[in-house]
Amino acid sequence: MDGLLLGLSIVFTPWAFFYCVLGTVLGIAVGAIPGLTGAMLIALTLPLTYYMTPTDAVVLLIAMYVGAITGGLITATLFRMPGTPSNVMTTFDGYPMAKAGRPGRALGLGISASFVGGIVSWFFLFLLAKPLSIWATRFGPFEYFTLILMAMVLIASVSQGSLVKGLIAGLLGMLASMPGVDPSAGQPRLTFDWYMLNGGLKLLPVLIGVFAVSQIISDILEIGRPMERISASTRGLLMTLRDWKKSAANMLRSSLIGTWVGILPGVGASIGSVIAYTTTKNLSKTPENFGKGAEEGIIASEAANNATVGGALVPLIAMGIPGSVIDAILIGALMIHSIQPGPTLFLTNYDVVWAMIAACLVANVLMYAIMLGSVGWVAKLAQLPRTFLLPVIIVFCVVGSFGLDNTMFDVWVMLIFGVIGFLLERAKYPLGPFVIGFVLAPLMEEKLRSGLMMTAGSIEPIYTRPLPLLFLGVAIILLVWPLIGEWRRRKQAS
Amino acid sequence: MTAVWVRIDMNDQVDRRFDIGVALVLIVIAAVAIWQAADLPPGTFEPLGSARVPQMTAGLIILLALWVIIRAMLRDDGTSDVEHAGAARAGIVAGLTVLYVAALHFRITTFAIITTVFLTATIFVLVRFDVARLPVILLVAAITGFGCQYLFTRVFVVDLPGL
Repeated sequence: MDGLLLGLSIVFTPWAFFYCVLGTVLGIAVGAIPGLTGAMLIALTLPLTYYMTPTDAVVLLIAMYVGAITGGLITATLFRMPGTPSNVMTTFDGYPMAKAGRPGRALGLGISASFVGGIVSWFFLFLLAKPLSIWATRFGPFEYFTLILMAMVLIASVSQGSLVKGLIAGLLGMLASMPGVDPSAGQPRLTFDWYMLNGGLKLLPVLIGVFAVSQIISDILEIGRPMERISASTRGLLMTLRDWKKSAANMLRSSLIGTWVGILPGVGASIGSVIAYTTTKNLSKTPENFGKGAEEGIIASEAANNATVGGALVPLIAMGIPGSVIDAILIGALMIHSIQPGPTLFLTNYDVVWAMIAACLVANVLMYAIMLGSVGWVAKLAQLPRTFLLPVIIVFCVVGSFGLDNTMFDVWVMLIFGVIGFLLERAKYPLGPFVIGFVLAPLMEEKLRSGLMMTAGSIEPIYTRPLPLLFLGVAIILLVWPLIGEWRRRKQAS
Repeated sequence: MTAVWVRIDMNDQVDRRFDIGVALVLIVIAAVAIWQAADLPPGTFEPLGSARVPQMTAGLIILLALWVIIRAMLRDDGTSDVEHAGAARAGIVAGLTVLYVAALHFRITTFAIITTVFLTATIFVLVRFDVARLPVILLVAAITGFGCQYLFTRVFVVDLPGL
């Protein structure tokens, strides 16, 4: 409890609170503009955080994270266009409900469910992060190596699209992290004898390229497509006590699903919302109403996607393993401030870690108040002309990449990875595994090689110690399970 | 979990030639990595050394990309949802962006001027050469270009590319 009080006292200092409000507002605004994502916003904001204290930086970024996930529900409901990928399920019922003349009601349900989802998952973050991190300090190199291996397979297997493409994307991200001086042996590798590559490819230009530039290219391809629009109305925005009672079970169940999915390394908000929506539909007395404006559908989707935020912060804080793509960027933010994410975070950066946890709580409360008070205004942001917006974002991408080390090399890296990200996405390779592979590969290799040094080259601990064996077993099951599923389906079909 | 697993196994209908093309590019990248890592010395204190991990990673990419190619050749062709006009616009904007970065790289003039020119050209392309909107475009471009220069150099005290 002392830690939480410390965190709250940090967040309520004038500058940190200002950043918390600013981050939430910017997150909501960006989430509400179709085509812009929270990952893009946070990647572009990272260069500006160099000049902040680490606590202010994490408060700003986490507030953006919370805001962006929620803001997307506005466009999902009013424009049938999810502001962020995690709001896709909200479009199924939010838009039909808005079209039927109840946009205020649809938005109100979404906002309230988002708030509950955020608070429930924050509670688990508060409860689990420290004990898990204490447990994780006992991990040896092989435990860590197999945990990361499991996380990588998990990310690839539950990403949208095919398992094989998910694995390729993860491996490609790993390969992209390898040029430069090998940290274990001090040996330059994959540098093509070019001195600029000795330092390796930095996270920020790669992130901006993969998430911002590739998204801009995709958005330009979509410019000119007509959008269906419904005006925002605040009638029915506030839920009555009866509504709260009626929806309580659904909100809690979906929040728990979202939190659990968030805790699983690398599995993002989109999956959480799909599982919660499907579960609610299966349990509903009126499943036929889903897709036609079912209130339960909006609540399930929004409670779950917001709950993944707190859930995903658990493995990040406790083990240094990103729970989602945005968490991978947050790891980058911590590293920029010379903070090593991992189980020792509670010991080495007590203030930063509690500021993160407190910011998650405060940002959720702010999000609820801001969304209720300004949803009509925020909805107008979605009408900003993308023809003007996208080129301006390109300029920010250039400045953000250059600002890291004041070198144009990073800007070229950003452009190249923008093209790579665009090609991968068009060919249906998920980008999440790519980024998480890029972030986790150095740690994974370092742990494996230091483990091998300790055992004189033997991998015996992987199958003789319980945890590495468990993690490896789960990784194998995750790889084999989809194949079994496909075999069974084919058998049934034939 | 049913819905999720259904998503895992769904057949992604990508244009077949594009799918194969991307997989081939990945194979080339991975092959270059294997070739680059071939000359690295073996490990001193552990058996892997600097070369083994990149080589194994690249090898797996090649195997899986070959799998993608075989699957693509065996299935029906997918369709592309990209309009030709949209693709042309994206191509022009990509070209302008490369020129913009090159202009900043070679420090042709100040960041503000290069950015104003880039924004004017890019927005003009995106509004489909609508001359009536040119004054607004110029205004937005100039405000952004000079505003960014002022904001980053005077407020955030960050170096900017260009002169």
